[in-house]
This record gives sequence, C-alpha cells and structure tokens, in this order.
Amino acid sequence: MNETPEKTTHFGYKTVAEDDKASMVADVFHSVAAKYDVMNDLMSFGVHRLWKRQTIASSGVRKGHHVLDLAGGTGDLTAKFSQLVGETGQVVLGDINSSMLKVGREKLHNLGLVGNIDYVQMNAEMLPFPDNSFDVITIAFGLRNVTDKDKALRSMYRILKPGGRLLVLEFSKPEHEVLSKAYDFYSFNLLPTMGKLVANDSESYKYLAESIRMHPDQDTLKAMMDDAGFEQTTYQNLTGGIVALHRGFKY
Amino acid sequence: MTLEQATEKNNGALNTSTFFMLPNFVLSLIERILNQALKLDPQLSQKLSAVEQQRLVVEVRNWQQTIQLVFADKKLHLYTAQSSDNADCMISADIDTLIALKNPAMLTQLIRQDKLDLQGDLNIAQTYSNAFSGLDIDWPEQLSKYIGDAPAQQLYLYLKALGQQSNKTKAQISSIFTSLCQDELAITIHPLELEQFKQQNRELKGQVAAIEQRINTLLNTVTR
Repeated sequence: MNETPEKTTHFGYKTVAEDDKASMVADVFHSVAAKYDVMNDLMSFGVHRLWKRQTIASSGVRKGHHVLDLAGGTGDLTAKFSQLVGETGQVVLGDINSSMLKVGREKLHNLGLVGNIDYVQMNAEMLPFPDNSFDVITIAFGLRNVTDKDKALRSMYRILKPGGRLLVLEFSKPEHEVLSKAYDFYSFNLLPTMGKLVANDSESYKYLAESIRMHPDQDTLKAMMDDAGFEQTTYQNLTGGIVALHRGFKY
Repeated sequence: MTLEQATEKNNGALNTSTFFMLPNFVLSLIERILNQALKLDPQLSQKLSAVEQQRLVVEVRNWQQTIQLVFADKKLHLYTAQSSDNADCMISADIDTLIALKNPAMLTQLIRQDKLDLQGDLNIAQTYSNAFSGLDIDWPEQLSKYIGDAPAQQLYLYLKALGQQSNKTKAQISSIFTSLCQDELAITIHPLELEQFKQQNRELKGQVAAIEQRINTLLNTVTR
C-alpha cells in the first residue's frame, strides 16, 4: 500500500509536518503572551514602536475605514487605528492565538478603547470575512509564523476592497554585511538569554531568531504579493533592512 | 517621500537618519508634547474639535519632510506623510513661514507673497493656526498641584520676571556688542561705510565696462 508523503514546512530551523506548525507556533505565543510587550521593548530597544508608527503612516487610514489588524497580538496598531477611524469606522483585531487576543483585549479595554473594535480568533489562511470587506489590512510580525504564506496572502487579497491596501511589517534581510553579522550575533546569543532572564523562556526566543532567518527576503516577499494579485507592490527597508514594510494594493 | 522613492533610497548606502528612524522618533516626541499641551489647556481640544478626523498635511520644504496631523479621539496624531493624497488640507512652506503662521492673520498674506502653498480646505489650516496661537496654559494652576497655591504663584511671577529681565539683558548685550565691534574696536564696518563701498564698487564696475567697450572697439578697428 502506498502512503501519501506527509507535507512538511519549517518551524525555525526544524522541519515539521505542515499540520503541526500552527499548534507549535501557538505554544510559543501562549508561552510569551504575558511578557510580550515588555520583551518587544527590550529586544528592539523600543524601536518596534517606530516601525509600527511607519506602518500607520503608510496605511492612509482615515475616518470611516474598516481595518483588519491581522496577527494583531497585543493591539499596538489596533489602538491607533481605532482612534483614527472614529465612531463610523471599525477595527478587527485578529489573531490565531487566544492568549494574545486576551492580553490585547485587556490592554485596549484599559486604554478606554471599546466602541469600534472587534476581537476575532482566526487563521490568516482562511479569513472568515466576505469578499471586499476591508479598506486596510495590516499584518505586523505575523506572516513569518503562518504555515502557508501564499494562501494567507490570497485570502487577504480576497477580503480587501478594491482600492484597499495590505501592509506587511516583518523582519527581513539586513542590507549590509557588517550589520547582518552584528544582528546574527545579537539574535542567536543575546536574544535567547534575554528571553530566559525576563520571560523564563529561551526556546521561544530561539525560535524567533530562527523563524526570522527562514522568512522570505524583501524581493521574494514582494514577488509573493504580486503572485497573490496585489498591484503596485513596494517595500521600504527600516533600520537597515532588519525590518521591511511591504505595501500592495488591490484594484 | 513616496514608498517607491524610499525603496530606492534605502537600496543605496545606509542612511543614519533612516536607520535610526529619526523623523519618526522626532515626530513621536512632538506628538507627546502637543498632547501634553492638550491636557494643560482644555480650550485647545474644543477649538480643534472643529477639525476632528480631518487630515492636515504639512510639507516643510527646507527640511524636506512631510508631516500629517489628525485630531482624533481628543488626541493629536502626527505621522510622516507618504504624499498629499487623502489630505483635506495641504500646506507647503519653509519652517520660518510656518512659524509665522502662529499669527493667523498672516495666512492670506503669506499665500499672496508666494511663500506658502495651500491646497484644500483653508478653514482647517486656520483652525490649527488659531488654536495654537491662542494656547493659554495656566502654569500657576498646573504648578500648584505639586507645590501648593502660594509658592506656585510666587515661583511663576519670579520666573516671569526672570524671563523679562533675561530678554532685556540679551537686547542690551547685543547692542553693546554691536557698538563695540563697530565704534570701539572697528572690527566690523558701519552700514554707511558698507553702502559707500558698494556705491564705489558700482562706479568702478561701470568704468571697467566702459574701458572694455573701448578696447573692443579699438581691437575691431585694428583687425579690419
């Protein structure tokens, strides 16, 4: 009897069964959810706030818009979008991980942001919304954790309104060799140690460093967005390419 | 700057400003200061409520920066702007001209002088200009929360007097320094001397031009 070969994907540097990746990623984020914001500030020296500011600046979000903050985690982008779209707009904070959503919801409630935000647990590959639903979709530091990125990009394209845009903020490939070496040293030596000391979890931060290296570089991701149907796709390197902001439109 | 231009620029040499994201950092600081001002002067929020959710884009020509301002949810939001698209009002001017806008009456005058370009709803620019020119923070009231009413009032009056005295001293020093350089030490020339020099220079230039003309005429005669 012939057995169907199991489809595999990467989980950091490990090769795992495709069906297992989502739950393994979920375990990572269940583990780090409580300390997520503290670790973000610590690991990026606060620069993640500036990367997110640039994402909002590029989003063109305005009053009345419908925004999906995918893999929105603890809601940094949602908080700003909620203020910018006003009462007539709507922001959906989506995440596959219930722990992250819980932390995000609590944080936004404490900030007094309640009127125009919905919280939905969802898988980026199968977004539970009708076609042409959103003016803007953002996915910040989430796409690299998705098992089938092409499927997720197609799904985002489907629910975007004509004229809408997708913004992908994600770790990428540093532009310069020296920076790349320094960044490697930081990621593989200091980062897991910081994770161990602050969040008592070095494995999750080892996965973070590895998953960044396995994520497509700037031009590959741009090509993937083009293949998914996006037009006028461009990217902007932030902090020397450590992070890249990709933008694509649906017409 | 458009995202395409930014992409090209980024593909070149590592730029310190973009590497450390300085424009975003500076804007986040300014945003924080302005929102603090909003808390300290409740009137400011009321004045800006007329332009709630409206997008003002400001291009600072000599800094080559474009900024978008939105007043939403009782807060000011400042971001770098990719373009003037989606702007309800767009202003383009040098920083000196923008500072002059703290006097709202200057707005139309600056447009007429071609120092300021304005597209879109003029009312939005006027509202922002009026709101910030009328910024009135009750400093003694704010200080009194920390040190009590009487010391706060005394400290405020003392600092105010100090400020006035400092301005007066600054003007005096400037005047003394100018007269010292011009009259006593003769380091710099008097404006009248400069004017005289320029006049003589102009006369000399005219004479040289006349001689040049005569030489050319003579040369033409010889070559024939």
